[in-house]
Amino acid sequence: MTTMDRLVGAGVDRIDGPAKVRGTAPYAYEQDPGEPIAHLAVVQSTVNRGRISRLDPSRAEALPGVLAVLTPANAPRLGKGLASDLPVLQSLDVHYQGQVVAAVVAETSEIAKAAVGAIAVGYDAEPPDVALSPDREDLYAPEKLMAGFATDSIIGDVDGALAAAVVSIDATYETPTQHHNPIEMHTSMARWDGDSLTLWDADQGPHNIVNDLVTGFGLDAGQVRVISPYVGGAFGSKAFTHPNQMLAAMAARVVGRTVVYELTRQQMFSLVGHRTPTIQRLRLGADPEGRLTAISHEVVEHTARIAEFAEQTATPTRVLYAAPHRRTTHRLARLDVPPPTIMRAPGETPGMFALESAMDELAVVLGLDPVELRIRNEPERDPERDLPWSTRNLVECLRTGAERFGWAGRDLRPGVRTEGRWLVGTGVASATYPTRRRKAQCRISVDGAGRYVVEIDGSDIGTGAWTALTQIAADALGTDMASVELRIGDSRLPFAGGAGGSTGLASWGTAIVFTARDLRKQLDEQHGGQPPAGGLSVDGELPGESPHAKTHSMHAYGAHFVEVRVDRDSGEVRVPRATSVYDAGTIVNAKTARSQLLGGFSMGVSMALHEGSVTDERYGHYVNHDLAEYHVATNADIGEIDISWLDVDDQLANPIGLKGIGEIGITGAAAAVANAYWHATRLRIRDLPITPDKYFRELGES
Amino acid sequence: MDFLQPTSWADALAVRAERSDAVPIAGGTDVMVDLNFDRRRPGALLDLGRVPELREWTVEDGTGGVGATGGVGGSTVRLGAGVPYSRIIDDLGARLPGLAMAARTVGSPQIRIRGTVGGNLGSASPAGDAHPPLLAAGAVVEVESAARGVRRIPAAEFFTGVKRNALEPDELIAAVLVPEAVGPQQFCKVGTRNAMVIAVSAFACALHPDRRAVGTGIGSAAPTPRRAPEAEEFLAGELESAGLWESRGDLPDGLARAFGERVAAAASPIDDVRGSAAYRRHSLAVMARRSVTWAWAEYQQDLRKAA
Amino acid sequence: MDSQITLRVDGAAHPLAVDTRTTLLDALRERLRITSPKKGCDHGQCGACTVLLDGRRVNSCLVLAVTVGDAEVTTSDGLAVDDVPHALHRSFVEHDAFQCGYCTPGQVCSAAGILAEARAGWPSAVTPDVAADTVELTDDEIRERMSGNLCRCAAYANIVPAVADVARAEGVRR
Repeated sequence: MTTMDRLVGAGVDRIDGPAKVRGTAPYAYEQDPGEPIAHLAVVQSTVNRGRISRLDPSRAEALPGVLAVLTPANAPRLGKGLASDLPVLQSLDVHYQGQVVAAVVAETSEIAKAAVGAIAVGYDAEPPDVALSPDREDLYAPEKLMAGFATDSIIGDVDGALAAAVVSIDATYETPTQHHNPIEMHTSMARWDGDSLTLWDADQGPHNIVNDLVTGFGLDAGQVRVISPYVGGAFGSKAFTHPNQMLAAMAARVVGRTVVYELTRQQMFSLVGHRTPTIQRLRLGADPEGRLTAISHEVVEHTARIAEFAEQTATPTRVLYAAPHRRTTHRLARLDVPPPTIMRAPGETPGMFALESAMDELAVVLGLDPVELRIRNEPERDPERDLPWSTRNLVECLRTGAERFGWAGRDLRPGVRTEGRWLVGTGVASATYPTRRRKAQCRISVDGAGRYVVEIDGSDIGTGAWTALTQIAADALGTDMASVELRIGDSRLPFAGGAGGSTGLASWGTAIVFTARDLRKQLDEQHGGQPPAGGLSVDGELPGESPHAKTHSMHAYGAHFVEVRVDRDSGEVRVPRATSVYDAGTIVNAKTARSQLLGGFSMGVSMALHEGSVTDERYGHYVNHDLAEYHVATNADIGEIDISWLDVDDQLANPIGLKGIGEIGITGAAAAVANAYWHATRLRIRDLPITPDKYFRELGES
Repeated sequence: MDFLQPTSWADALAVRAERSDAVPIAGGTDVMVDLNFDRRRPGALLDLGRVPELREWTVEDGTGGVGATGGVGGSTVRLGAGVPYSRIIDDLGARLPGLAMAARTVGSPQIRIRGTVGGNLGSASPAGDAHPPLLAAGAVVEVESAARGVRRIPAAEFFTGVKRNALEPDELIAAVLVPEAVGPQQFCKVGTRNAMVIAVSAFACALHPDRRAVGTGIGSAAPTPRRAPEAEEFLAGELESAGLWESRGDLPDGLARAFGERVAAAASPIDDVRGSAAYRRHSLAVMARRSVTWAWAEYQQDLRKAA
Repeated sequence: MDSQITLRVDGAAHPLAVDTRTTLLDALRERLRITSPKKGCDHGQCGACTVLLDGRRVNSCLVLAVTVGDAEVTTSDGLAVDDVPHALHRSFVEHDAFQCGYCTPGQVCSAAGILAEARAGWPSAVTPDVAADTVELTDDEIRERMSGNLCRCAAYANIVPAVADVARAEGVRR
């Protein structure tokens, strides 16, 4: 008798790896549309608010090689019902700087770029209103937040409890505008065949994009095909449709051949979303033993004039710690900025910087180990929804992480450890992210030889889904990976939501498990357990949320431990080592999961030390709109990182027992760095990023 | 846009004289960024990559002739304008240690393989990493035109404004003449990440025991790269009066710090996205203090090695 | 203005007409449809377009196609000989030294470059002895030398051991 090893859990090499390392896996622009490709380039508004007063395309139109110039005057009319900035070139009104006001289609990218420079545009403009402040009189409460969260939550008498608290913290934290900057710029390549549109696209889920094209171009869903098997990073910016998809399709229709629109790096700062800046006031009240009596987390953030995006920044505060009196609020300012969007762990990423920094500050006031403070405030049930946890092992993450990092015996005093010119400190922060799943459909076919084809419109934006879904399918089908051919990244495949919200494997994987069960049942009951000569195909579906989601609170957890070194003369900061431990349920692929968690945490270090888009308040633009000035971490900025996870699964979340790992790694990471920075220097930086000049600002020396 | 590709220095000068609308391009690491950004649209590109004279470095002896090998005090490296940073790193670490140190921090490794000192002098960015060590070493920029021949411009006079230099429209940069180090040289740079970073501020210093002088160069902290003459004279004077050039004794307490303060005072920085003016001054003082401390320790070490 | 040139890429000669403004990267990707090198910024700020030009790593977005001449262009795909993956290809897969894979061909070319640079003794900003004949590729050396290639997925902590394994096999690391 042979036994089949379970593939789920194994550290299998990426099946798309050999093609990716050689560069032969075709990303959007690298697909073959079957005909020569025309190139699109855009003219962007140089004002934030106003109206186009003059736009002369004639010089550009006269250039050899220019196929068309699209402007609000001649662009095809798009269907009603498109949201945000998707009605591209439909009006003379300008709502944000960088808005597309004209587009050139030309034989080559060089000609298109040159023609853009030949188009003169004038505006009747108003001064930009781009400065976020908690004192703005026009702050408003949105009806609800992203992902359906309530705008505010108020339990008990927060102000009374804060006033009565023996120990309290009242601090304001700020996070800047951040841009996703996947290394593959957003790219859309469109080809029309009659009234059918094919779009090779860089996105997080083809089905996410189809609906907007259907609406915009008045098509049936069957007339649009979006193909994206390989995507060069996304982090949220490629989750939803942006002007690029609309423009490529529009231009291809006008010139009657395939058109590609590949954004420039600079355009990535205005056309595909950003993370809102936040200003967060945290107030914590506690008894002398460190038990929280009150938590208040009030968030001010921005949205665009033309679209409401209300980031759920304080939602982690609703679940992380116990306290009888609690309040979270979100207020928005509508500014002349491009529409913000989701960026890796929207809500948790900025929100946990504030909450976990404040917890560290409270531990300092109490003279308590910050690990112990968190353990003392571990809630038995979801403190706001009053539900049991599906599984929750935050305390074990903290204890395991402390052990692995060598936390025991840590001196609580700040600013007392030096190695040469370096001030050395350590810090901790918790991590959390919701566990969810979404509707997904799947088709599995088997041929007479026992070879399986698994079809689902899942998406691999670097997550490892190609490999992990194949592992899940092989286990569910009782076969090996070589017998399973996975097809993802194509809207012709059975419906699935995009990669986002750390729901990919939970949704697509569960749909595969359900469909595989049906297929095996049919094989057993109708075909004696053997695939029939003519093959068999079964369609299955995961309806959506777990039936336990209404009765249980479901989240992933983690704990980060970080060492920070600060040059006491220059203020330069280094993060030489870190330990993170996660409770993320079942780990499907130990190799790719580690990379996801590593990447999330490293992006958190990048957020802590480097990232921030600086707005020029007079002229309304992002000053540092390229990769030379918008710094993301380089290889030399990332030190030794120890990643591990607890051996747990969450059977209430989904039959695989996984919780999702795409986002948990970044949550809390920046706070852990800031807390370690305090421990190294005695200086509390409450506004990210922690650049060298802030060391001297806090010292009062400059 | 025309593409002009002379294959000799004489041809390059002739083309330059004819086409004042041409932008000279060497490694392309500055010019291509501008072109790809569409920040400039020159009528022509003048590619200097096929001009063999620009791709060599030689050692000239003290009289201005070219010697076969150098390494002796009083020699000067004639660094062709088209020599990439990677060759400076590989070949010139001993002769031009300050410039080689700076070269190891220019852009990214890929940039160092293409980028050239001549090209960066042409761009004259206040943040150019090579500029402070050239200033500290007392380098001279050799430029030439077909009509008027060669001009030699001290590096300190070459930078005339933000991204502006002393080149006339018909001139090209032929070489940089950098005196070989006769004493320790240091280069420091502060950035907001650990690699591939445009300097928030940068500093180079060079000790010239042969003429009992100190050289300095400041980057990213003024409209142009510049020296800190008062700091140079102060330090050289203090070393002289205490007899330290000969004795190689320890630096008196506070001397390095006082030097750093004078270096910082020579800057006229601005606030920008990379850092505040105040931080630039502060970090310059720190880098100047550190680099002179390291340089002096090396000077002391040299004596022990010699003994 | 178009020029007729011949690019030698991964062992094959490709005659083509290019605009004088055309970069090597665009000539490869848009004209020849050789898409192993990627476009990530077009300004030498990310390294995704890194190729080897006569064995040395360069940002192909900063090289004009008309200036390449007879130089041999090698992409990550071209590092495979007779379709057999290069040791770096295998090591990157084994160490999961990438996620989305878009910066990866540039990372691989850069890694190939640093092996050669270490053998040639080129010091880096973190090399203790700048006069040594060869440089040992320690973790810190790899971090510094690979820092011209951004990875937004942040696979850095896997890239370092992926390069280190090959460096050890090639004798530039103990």
